[in-house]
Amino acid sequence: MLALHPQVSVRPEPFGALLYHFGTRRLSFLKDRRLLDVVQRLDGSTSVEAALADVPEMERAAFRSALATLEQTGMLT
Amino acid sequence: MSEVVELVVDGPVEEPALVEEDLLVEDVSIDGMCGVY
Repeated sequence: MLALHPQVSVRPEPFGALLYHFGTRRLSFLKDRRLLDVVQRLDGSTSVEAALADVPEMERAAFRSALATLEQTGMLT
Repeated sequence: MSEVVELVVDGPVEEPALVEEDLLVEDVSIDGMCGVY
């Protein structure tokens, strides 16, 4: 189960969101506000597929890829 | 009188394919930006 890293600060923006990791000093742009919604649903007990429930099926692959990137960069743990 | 040279291209000219970025996450490096306002 994934969750936002405790050292990550989230700043919602009209275009999506900014994520800043205070430990790695990494800054990431989320380009879709719905991706922010998905990330915020990931609380360590919600599965990725459950968090993607409101995302249209044809778009889920892109969202899964984005979540994988966020995990690789330490934003999600 | 200058010559006019015509170039004949066989077949359609292919434009280079544009790379489409559909990534939902973009990383930005801010290292070394201390003092930038």
